[in-house]
Amino acid sequence: MNAVCQNIKDTLKLPEFEIKSNYIIDNHGFKRVDLDSITLVPHITADLSTLLSEYSTIFVKSYGNGTLATPSFRGTTSQHTQVQWNGINLNSPMLGQIDLSQVPVAQFEKIEILYGASGIALTSGAFGGVINLVTIPNWNNRINLMMAQTIASFDNYTSNANIAVGNGNIQSHTKINYSSGLNDFPYFNDYLGESVCQKNAKFKQYDITQEFYWKLKDKHLFSARVWYRYDDRNLPPTTDSDQDKIEKQKDKILRALLEYKYIERKYNLMIHTSMSDQYMKYTNQNQVAEHHVYSWINRVRFTYTGIRNLSIKPGLDFNHDWAVSDGYDGIKTRNTASFFGEIAYDFSKKIKSTLVFREEIIDGKFMPLISTVGIEYKPFNKINFSISSNLARNFRFPTLNELYWDPGGNPELKPELDYILEGGVNFNIKSKNRQFFLETTFSGYYSWIYDMIVWVPMEDNSSLWSPENVNEVMTRGIELGLNMQWKILGFDLGFKNNYTLNHSTYEKSGSINDQKVGKQLIYAPVNAFNSVVSLEKWNVFLRYNFIFVGKRYTSTDNLFYMPAYTLSNIILGKNINLRYICLTLQVEIKNLFDLDYQSIRNRPMPGVNYAFTMKISFGKGNR
Amino acid sequence: MKVFNHTSYSYLFFFLFTSLVFFTESCSKEPIREKKEDPDTTHNSITYTNGIFVVNEGNFNWGNATVSYIDQGTGKVEQDIFGKANQRALGDVAQSMRIFKQYGLVLLNNSNKVEVVNLKDFKSVKSISGFNSPRYLEVIDSTKAYVTNLQQDISVINLQTLTIEKTIKTPTWTEGMIRFDHFIFVTSVGEYYLSNAFRKAKIYIIDTDKDLIVDSIHTGKEPLGIAIDKKQKIWVMCTGGYDHFEAPSLMRIDPALHIVEKTYFFPSTGSVPSRLCMNQAGDILYYIRGGVYQMPVTSSELPSEPIINSEGRLFYGLSVDPKTGNLFVSDAIDYVQNGMVYQYNAQNGQQINSFTAGRIPGSFCFTSGSGKK
Repeated sequence: MNAVCQNIKDTLKLPEFEIKSNYIIDNHGFKRVDLDSITLVPHITADLSTLLSEYSTIFVKSYGNGTLATPSFRGTTSQHTQVQWNGINLNSPMLGQIDLSQVPVAQFEKIEILYGASGIALTSGAFGGVINLVTIPNWNNRINLMMAQTIASFDNYTSNANIAVGNGNIQSHTKINYSSGLNDFPYFNDYLGESVCQKNAKFKQYDITQEFYWKLKDKHLFSARVWYRYDDRNLPPTTDSDQDKIEKQKDKILRALLEYKYIERKYNLMIHTSMSDQYMKYTNQNQVAEHHVYSWINRVRFTYTGIRNLSIKPGLDFNHDWAVSDGYDGIKTRNTASFFGEIAYDFSKKIKSTLVFREEIIDGKFMPLISTVGIEYKPFNKINFSISSNLARNFRFPTLNELYWDPGGNPELKPELDYILEGGVNFNIKSKNRQFFLETTFSGYYSWIYDMIVWVPMEDNSSLWSPENVNEVMTRGIELGLNMQWKILGFDLGFKNNYTLNHSTYEKSGSINDQKVGKQLIYAPVNAFNSVVSLEKWNVFLRYNFIFVGKRYTSTDNLFYMPAYTLSNIILGKNINLRYICLTLQVEIKNLFDLDYQSIRNRPMPGVNYAFTMKISFGKGNR
Repeated sequence: MKVFNHTSYSYLFFFLFTSLVFFTESCSKEPIREKKEDPDTTHNSITYTNGIFVVNEGNFNWGNATVSYIDQGTGKVEQDIFGKANQRALGDVAQSMRIFKQYGLVLLNNSNKVEVVNLKDFKSVKSISGFNSPRYLEVIDSTKAYVTNLQQDISVINLQTLTIEKTIKTPTWTEGMIRFDHFIFVTSVGEYYLSNAFRKAKIYIIDTDKDLIVDSIHTGKEPLGIAIDKKQKIWVMCTGGYDHFEAPSLMRIDPALHIVEKTYFFPSTGSVPSRLCMNQAGDILYYIRGGVYQMPVTSSELPSEPIINSEGRLFYGLSVDPKTGNLFVSDAIDYVQNGMVYQYNAQNGQQINSFTAGRIPGSFCFTSGSGKK
């Protein structure tokens, strides 16, 4: 098969049928799931919210088509989910969360999902986990051009262009995408009692990324990356609110980073400096609010593997955040210094362990020491079967809004604390002729969050809300994964499934009438399942995606809920190869069965909708 | 590895999976909307003639405002009477309710509507739209009513046609209204989107014959509550500002002379007072400040002890039943679950009864009369 077609982003050299494990164990004892470029390619014009809800057990709280979408893991909140792009935190330091609809899939090559405590190696505060977006150079690439155009329902259009040029030492990669749309999908409005079109939902957004990589004598690696995003969108009204209300949001985000790696046989060194500049402007009929946050992020990592069975990775981070906001009284800043260490030790070929610890100093104050220890046991030599477990303590420092929002911000807030225990089993098997692969995973977790921050009406002034360390939350659950791949009669067949069961419950009462103790957190589904069936032959590919989102409670006393729903999405496409050129035609049908649904109360979602994509790519590599 | 014959298994597996999915998918066609656990289908076909309507605000943008009804005769409470009668939601953030003849008028802040219902069955008669975040309604005469708005303007409703007839222009957030002679005294907080440092708080005096603002009186920041006593003195409760801009105050105004006669200052620390209301006789004021306080209009100073202690609850709404004189107090709990309503004896502060209400019970409306607020 033509490699240009198989993998337009051309980041990995793949054998004809490569066995891909979803579940990758990097740090022993922790869970990590990778979504590789093969998964991403058909979704090049989508945003991250689509991808995560279709391929992972992360719950994406979507406020509508193409609008705010926030991720949460394992029954925690979106503030306990950190999204990083090459080591830069994409979560806003003001809100502490990210809008996934602002992250186009076209901007990166791989997604690493680090569950639970494994995120401590990257950052604090990610009780649920970390979503790491990775861009990687392909040193075999000589030239690769790609252009794609998508025409979708509701007057939505997306254009993409990628240019990758270089040789074995230097690579340049340019990625551009532009989307615009009216997004005026029809839906049935129960409040008005009639079918209407979504109002005030148009948007215009583009991203430009430039990456440079320079490799010297296989010892020095320099990289420079810049990502600029512009987003101008109207915020549609909820179904019951005034439909003529006009709200708008404009974002301009610049992220830039420089990185240097020095690689020796027994050790390596990484120095990273980056900045992000996030500007947001909110407008309604009689109000304008502007928020501007700058972050400067520095990281130094050293890895030493000179001692048998041992690797030591000390690190140092320094971040500076600087915020000017109409919501704050004056300029607010934050300095975070953290010392970090990761020690991996193999007791034997069968027993391997990892210890990670991190101490952060925020604005001169020592935070609780956080650490995690993980262990992995592989009892058999010839069978890929492993048992792993980890134990961790983590904290989340309050966001700038929680501390300084005027009025209401509470500078006296303590960090939230979390204790997590996790265990898992992974088994995979492949047939000798490499025609069949099967992988099953199981993980279970138990965690307790103390001093969880919630905005509550102030005791002395119920018209003013203020964040307080009032909640205690217990989360526990299991995750099951089943991944199968076959090659039968010339068909490439794939079948990936994820199931999660989660109980996250309030464990502390706020007042005497409070009925929430022991009840499930709102908008945290107890059950969730997704499945992808893929089929490929004669350069025709078909992907069928099935999503089940369980019941989500909408009141803390669990008397009200949004019913469970299932969605089906389908992609059918054909690659046409002409020597160095590949033409791809693809049709995507979302919400195949035209379900009339709301994921969040009063936020309408579109019925069946279509997207047609034409993509042309030209590639020449050095193989 | 000949452990299993995967070809036949895989086909079978695929077939089963796909057919299962298609089967379940094509069956479930019911729209996915919020539901209630064990929904109470009991719809007592009572007429709403002797009881209390509890207006549950609901969460902003959730569209889960409801009205609960407490029947004075049976002591039973019925939830979401509008939803049951009309098979649709009431709207987004119900601020208050007023009764005019056979109609109930519910003001929906974020829907920018006033829902007019027939009190016989609570069926919607008309939804009047075109407001700017409506707050409170005051009936002027049999033909017109005023509606205050958070964003701007006071809307004048024609009660015969149930339409907005005109607006009284003002750029400010107007809130409570009290009638004196042929004037309406309206509290005005200032521009909604400004902070209290830049807001000018005042009382507008409107000539109801001409629908014109004829004068104004300066007050403390955020004059949210207004009431009139038996001696025709107007009382105004100023919170001092959500941002604790200044000490809260209670003002007594002579409506004939348009002057502030007396100002009682609360301590600038501690709880902010809210929900000023008057008993039917017009001689005792009530308000929430943590607990519920009672103050005779003749008192020379503010009461030091509450008549009802909050006891760990966060009191949110307060009204006096014009018929029995009982106090109705609400607890919104954490604002994300059903709230509670308590009924107290106004003389001794003893609890008479308690009821479950809907989400964020904020105000009350009595079938026996509008009350003095």
